[in-house]
Amino acid sequence: MNQDIVIGRGVSASTRGNPLRALVEPRVYLSLAAILLLLAIPVGVDSAFVYHVFVTICLYGALATAWNIVGGYAGQLSLGHATFYGIGGYTSVLLLDHYQISPWVSMWIGAALAAAVGVAISYPCLRLRGPFFALGSIAFLEVFRLLVTHESDLTGGASGLIVPLKIGWKWMIFREKYPYLLIAFGFLSVTLLVSLAIRKSRFGYHLVAVREREDAAMAAGINTVKVKLLAVLISAALTAMVGSFHAMYTTFIDPPTMFSLEFSVQIAMFALIGGLGTFAGPLAGTLLVVPITELARGWLGGAAGGLHGFVYGAVLLLIVLMLPAGIVGRFGGALARLVSRLPGARPTEDPEVTAELTPVVTAAAAGQPVLVAKNIVKRFGGLAATDNVSLELRKGEILGLIGPNGAGKTTVFNLLSGFLTPDSGTVEVVNESGQTVSPKAPHGFAHAGIGRTFQIVKPFGKLTVLENIMIGALHKCRTISEARCKALRVARHVRLYDDRHTIASNLTVSGLKRLEVARILAMEPQILLLDEVMAGQNQTDVNLAVEMIRNIRDKGVSVIAIEHNMHAIMKVSDRVVVFNSGRVIAEGAPEDVVQDPAVIEAYLGEEYMHAQAI
Amino acid sequence: MFKTGLRTVAAVMLIGALVYLGSAIATAASPPTIKVGALYPFSGSLALLGDESFRGFELAVEEINASGGIQGGKKIELVKADALDPNQAVGEARRLISVVGVQAIFGTYASTLAFAASQVAELSGVPYFELGAISDPITERGFKYTFRTCPTSKNFAHAAVDAIIEAVAPALKIQPKDLRIAIIHEDSLYGTTVGGYEKQRAKEKGLNVVEVMPYSKDTVDMSSLMLRLKGANVDVVLQTSYVNDSVLFFRQMKEAGFKPKAVIGGGGGYSMKDTETAVGAKNIEGAFDIDFTQYQTNPKAAPGIDDFVKKYKAKYGTTPRSGHSLANYFGAKAIFSALNKANSMDKDAIRTQVMNLDIPAGTTVTGWGVKFGPDGQNTRCTPFLLQWQNGELVTVYPASAAVAKLKIGVGM
Amino acid sequence: MDVFLQIVVNGLLLGGMYVLVSVGLTLIFGVIRVANFAHGELLMVGMYAVYLLSKYLGLHPYVAAGPVVIFLFIIGVAIQRFIMQPLMNADPEIQIFATVGLSTALMNLALLVFGADMVSVQATGLRERFHIGSVRLIYANMVMFLTAVTLVVGLDLFLTRTYMGRAIRATSQNRLAAPLMGINVKKVYVLTFGIGAGCVGLAAALVAPTYPVFPTIGTYFVLTAFVIVVLGGMGSLYGAFAGSMIIGLIDSLSGFYIAPDLREVVYFLIFIIILIVRPTGLFGLGRGSE
Repeated sequence: MNQDIVIGRGVSASTRGNPLRALVEPRVYLSLAAILLLLAIPVGVDSAFVYHVFVTICLYGALATAWNIVGGYAGQLSLGHATFYGIGGYTSVLLLDHYQISPWVSMWIGAALAAAVGVAISYPCLRLRGPFFALGSIAFLEVFRLLVTHESDLTGGASGLIVPLKIGWKWMIFREKYPYLLIAFGFLSVTLLVSLAIRKSRFGYHLVAVREREDAAMAAGINTVKVKLLAVLISAALTAMVGSFHAMYTTFIDPPTMFSLEFSVQIAMFALIGGLGTFAGPLAGTLLVVPITELARGWLGGAAGGLHGFVYGAVLLLIVLMLPAGIVGRFGGALARLVSRLPGARPTEDPEVTAELTPVVTAAAAGQPVLVAKNIVKRFGGLAATDNVSLELRKGEILGLIGPNGAGKTTVFNLLSGFLTPDSGTVEVVNESGQTVSPKAPHGFAHAGIGRTFQIVKPFGKLTVLENIMIGALHKCRTISEARCKALRVARHVRLYDDRHTIASNLTVSGLKRLEVARILAMEPQILLLDEVMAGQNQTDVNLAVEMIRNIRDKGVSVIAIEHNMHAIMKVSDRVVVFNSGRVIAEGAPEDVVQDPAVIEAYLGEEYMHAQAI
Repeated sequence: MFKTGLRTVAAVMLIGALVYLGSAIATAASPPTIKVGALYPFSGSLALLGDESFRGFELAVEEINASGGIQGGKKIELVKADALDPNQAVGEARRLISVVGVQAIFGTYASTLAFAASQVAELSGVPYFELGAISDPITERGFKYTFRTCPTSKNFAHAAVDAIIEAVAPALKIQPKDLRIAIIHEDSLYGTTVGGYEKQRAKEKGLNVVEVMPYSKDTVDMSSLMLRLKGANVDVVLQTSYVNDSVLFFRQMKEAGFKPKAVIGGGGGYSMKDTETAVGAKNIEGAFDIDFTQYQTNPKAAPGIDDFVKKYKAKYGTTPRSGHSLANYFGAKAIFSALNKANSMDKDAIRTQVMNLDIPAGTTVTGWGVKFGPDGQNTRCTPFLLQWQNGELVTVYPASAAVAKLKIGVGM
Repeated sequence: MDVFLQIVVNGLLLGGMYVLVSVGLTLIFGVIRVANFAHGELLMVGMYAVYLLSKYLGLHPYVAAGPVVIFLFIIGVAIQRFIMQPLMNADPEIQIFATVGLSTALMNLALLVFGADMVSVQATGLRERFHIGSVRLIYANMVMFLTAVTLVVGLDLFLTRTYMGRAIRATSQNRLAAPLMGINVKKVYVLTFGIGAGCVGLAAALVAPTYPVFPTIGTYFVLTAFVIVVLGGMGSLYGAFAGSMIIGLIDSLSGFYIAPDLREVVYFLIFIIILIVRPTGLFGLGRGSE
């Protein structure tokens, strides 16, 4: 998959500062021209039917684009989006019928209501993925439909509601056709702009991270729940507004039409066929499928009953089979390359940076405890993976954490970074301003200044090295360009600068380990938890890793490192803590720990007593 | 090679010229037609009755064309259009009007489609004639160019309740007020509207309604509903249902051993031969139905009805599946007669002639008359009371239209 | 009390029918991890097949079960081989939409071929009732219930006692490790879809005496089947059985004690609660967050 499509690089770098300069870019002026065609063609042809088809394209395109914010960007497949559409439609019509409120006003109320409902029903379902989330969204849709049908006093029930034919801009009902097209086009433009803005913003990067690897995103300090809910909120509000307008367009609403499962599936399908998670995909899918549907019905609808439906279903199936990556996924790369040859295109340049890391300044004095765990216990079933462990990390030190496999080291890391909550005991962190806090949840710990890597690397495989690091950088940087600069610096520092545009999944093991560290370094943590960063690497790379850890410490970061490589860990640690079966069995300077009989018995063996000399 | 190429080019040009000439002759020879749209649900869950309704319309058009057309020999050209939901209805109405160029739209059997399509027609100044959808608000929106020839849900509901008082209770020899009545209906537009008006009318007339139960038309099981009806000792059931739920109702009524004194349907599934085939003539015996005129009606009250059945059989090879075709045929004939008098397709000329129509009841194939109220609704169409007897749906009330005597009891 | 007993019995027998319809879905969903939205249409195709065999060859619907099961098995194999398999490496969402396209195509194909009329299989006494004590039962429903039990037990034996069955379970637990054990995953998937579809064929033959068939009849069953599969736990046969019984009882009880039109609200709400609280379902093997 072409990454330009995923993240949308290219324009932002060269338009920093002057949006007008963007117009010269071929991608931009071509896209604008293409979209304006949606207005130009129907006005040119001037047929009521063609107007209708283009209004339908604009509306469905808007709905699909709005859907894509949740289904594509956030990766939660919602097949019940008509819930929001229906809320928008019903709110507008009810307010119009009872209080003569103009749809231009009531659509905002509908949007707010839909956003609230969206957040309320998504929050409990966020853990669900794939078909389960889809089924949950369908269930909510059905419940809404049935309740709206049942509460006929409030909503008109199954008899539906008729929109009184008041003509004029105030009421969104017209005799002519072009005002409908203008409004529909307006909605399309707004949703496209919102989608684009999200794409190029910090929020957009967060969404991609959450979708690709939720736990890595959490480790990068992203509040994944908040991010997903925000996506739902925006998507629901936009969808509801389109629903309000569409109700005025068809002038009749009833529960099966407004809360239609088939309709929900359709808008998701447009986004999917066009390319899930891409910016242009939803509109591309709409442009492909809507004309086919309308034409099929126009030509074949009068022929045998069911023929156009069959053709539609068969065509859909064929498209899905032929273009599983969607239109944009399949053709986007080639198209982008073509477009970049047009006049006005400028290659993106990365600024030159040094490999200097920013020093980390905190209020704590050297040697003061910055991370304190007291009597923490964690049980899984009957097994105490962490059994009454107390340890502390002091400012500016490198603390080694060693022990045999299965001793519970990674579990402790999870407890120290918020990925697990202790059954009893406390974990306290002294944050950068000197306050002692007891964070909850991974992003809380990240805010307190803790960064951690994972034993099994968790890169954002489909993104480039630079984008991976930027996700970490966005923790402290507020803008994309700032994050890019910092990411470039960190990339130089970990020797990944030359690979910065490589897709992460194509890196070597050594590269992936360094990427993992780089992403966390870009967050500028004051405490770094490194989980076996030297595992599986050759001696040269191990030495470089030791060097890197020392540099990091010299910049003011306190480090805890889990390692199995005894030479390395003894060389680099100031103190060592030894684990076995979930308990701390020894603690102290490396040379002392190594001689502790309990430790030797646990796993060291006498060969390593002289590690310091090697 | 050069020769072959030249020959090919020449052949192509010749064929092209012939085609062009031929089509020019064809179009020149064909007289001007009046294009009208026929908007019905031809696919989806309403396809069966949509198709049936269309057949009546089609027969009317063919008949009129066979006898010379209208407005001085112009043939009517009907253009079919299919729609499954309001957005499609809008699309199809637009297409018919602006692409095909129809000058009137007929349809649709499904009220949700009618709402949307008639609104488009009204805003475009194209007359819209509803021949079979019964939701009342279609003609309550103050439109000038929307007309409906068939009865509405309110007509159905009132007829059903009145039938209890005037026909069923006397036959049972029980006072109407002593009957325990249940109103059950499918919970979409159709059932809810009719059921709602039935409840209102029953209250007005002081009848004892002990249960009102909507249910989903997609239901696969009504056994609990049966138990409730049984438990409430219901005497008369008023049902408004589609085909699937009607079938389910009769089957499960028998299975549950529930034997009400009378069952009255409000059209829909109750009028369909498909229902009777699925349920079995014995089990549906005695069930009443308030409905569009069906085929076992006294021809004295509905002259021409037997001819219609013959024509239908000749064209489609079976007997009509329900009275929807008849109702559409009736409406089409009446409207086209007005169009003929208007002698133009100008919307106001059409409106004048349509409003002038004054056909007495008892003179048409459905037994209905035609006189439009100011809102465009036909005021002379009262549904009759029918009953399933020996596998046929026969008219039993009013006496002028009846072909058989009213029986009591449901199922054997 | 009698009424209550009758309601419970009705609910259980209704559950029996639901078992037949959802067993195939839980297999397909549980092993291949595909949400097959065309499931209802498979039932519809099966029912039309039963109708045709019954009308033109005079076969009793239960006898027609044999050929129909085989016919649906072949269709299932074809769907997996030609539609699902090419999409195995695409986003899982894409596979869902392939089934949606298939569903639309099948429904409209039926409309084209058979028309919108509803057709029924002759009941031949299967809809007659008999009594046990004060409770009324219908023969056809009883047969469905007993077949459901047999089917679940039989499939369970197949899955636990045969090599192929174990291969299927292994693949459903770990798609990546199974081939390392010598299991041909493609073959397993093809077989599973075939068996799942075959179960639907059996359901069609048994349901045909009770329900008329028309092109959209599949839509009446598919959502309920999904609710049951999630409730019971995808991939679990006993889960599908328990889920069906529960849904059948809820259906019957809420239809009587609350209101017939709110039945669906009740079980969709329960469905949502299960999804949130225990996505693996009652007996589930997989994780709800997959």
